[in-house]
Amino acid sequence: MTGLPARDDGPAEAPTEGLTRTEITRRRSAELFGELRGDIASEAARTHARDALVHLHLPLVEHCARRFRNRGEPFEDLVQVGTIGLIKSIDRFDTERGVEFSTYATPTIIGEIKRYFRDKGWAIRVPRRLQELRMQIGSATAELTQTLGRSPTPRELAEAIGCSVEEIVEGLESSNAYSTLSLDATDDSDDGGSSMLDAIGIDDEGLEHVEIRESIKPLLEKLPPREKKILLLRFFKNMTQSQIAAEIGVSQMHVSRLLNRTLEQLRSSLESAEPE
Amino acid sequence: MSVTSQSSGERTDRAEVELRVPADSAYASVLRTTTAGLAARLDFTIDDIEDLRIAVGEANAMVLEHADAGSDLLCRFHLAPGRMVVSVSVAAATQPVPDLDSFAWQVLTTLASEADISTADGRFAIEMTMTSSAAGF
Repeated sequence: MTGLPARDDGPAEAPTEGLTRTEITRRRSAELFGELRGDIASEAARTHARDALVHLHLPLVEHCARRFRNRGEPFEDLVQVGTIGLIKSIDRFDTERGVEFSTYATPTIIGEIKRYFRDKGWAIRVPRRLQELRMQIGSATAELTQTLGRSPTPRELAEAIGCSVEEIVEGLESSNAYSTLSLDATDDSDDGGSSMLDAIGIDDEGLEHVEIRESIKPLLEKLPPREKKILLLRFFKNMTQSQIAAEIGVSQMHVSRLLNRTLEQLRSSLESAEPE
Repeated sequence: MSVTSQSSGERTDRAEVELRVPADSAYASVLRTTTAGLAARLDFTIDDIEDLRIAVGEANAMVLEHADAGSDLLCRFHLAPGRMVVSVSVAAATQPVPDLDSFAWQVLTTLASEADISTADGRFAIEMTMTSSAAGF
């Protein structure tokens, strides 16, 4: 992210030429959008206008971010993600629609900050260093899985990231503290409830004991579609977590968490279903 | 926990690790974490490590069901490069009949390269062999 421009929103700045600060900003904003969208402007002029728009509206981002202070995330981080929302708004804003840019941008900026909280929500406060390491491990795992054709070892990860194997182990442990909250929210949905179970009837070579399927079938039915899919892919199609991750479009760590949680749920339901 | 090197002179390429915890599901996470930590040092892949973690958790749940009250759970790890044999056992006076149709066993046998249940000498034990899927093993 580029450095923040000097703050100029102090109360000391008096309205010039009878205009309020808001009006000045609005006017400037309209000019810049004119340059950005204008047909005649050169690429350089457009880039400049876009940058200027970002800078002009940064106080708006800070204003939005301030509403989320005291929720455990550094203010600067919130400004950063909020700025992403701002940039998206600038790129998507339709000047023809007669809406003020700030009206249009605010929900996008807040949405981006909320998404950050949702995605980065940790069940337990994990030191920042470990959170960063975990993210590095996540992306290095994805890359190495691609190049190696299998999931990497901690040593390979350590070499790729430039840290020790111990740190990788620590990072992996910390990922177990990550919240699984609201993971069901975005299900990719193509398959309805029964189709997956119907599907395993065809190619379930891994499943030798039919009676097992009968006993867990009612439990499987109760699982959310994605959990069910992951479980079936893992145990009945014998895919690795990385393969499942690629198939479903989430990270391997995510698959791991879902799988662990689902097994835990199944185990406790089986135990309560048949007490000894 | 104790780590013993079989060949004390040279660099360990085979070691035994033992972990004894109360036979209580509260310690399941300790077993899983220890397993993952050991596997990470033996060049298992991230997928393998996750599998191991789950397998040990399932084995733990299976044996705990039959553990004598107030007894200990013994977890033994035989470590070799790219290979780990984990044995989880409890004292079980009841001579339990292992349920090979259980979901836990199904999960376990899918995850481990080899898995075995024994109920000899008043102990209920599950032994699993896992091999690293990284090249060279």
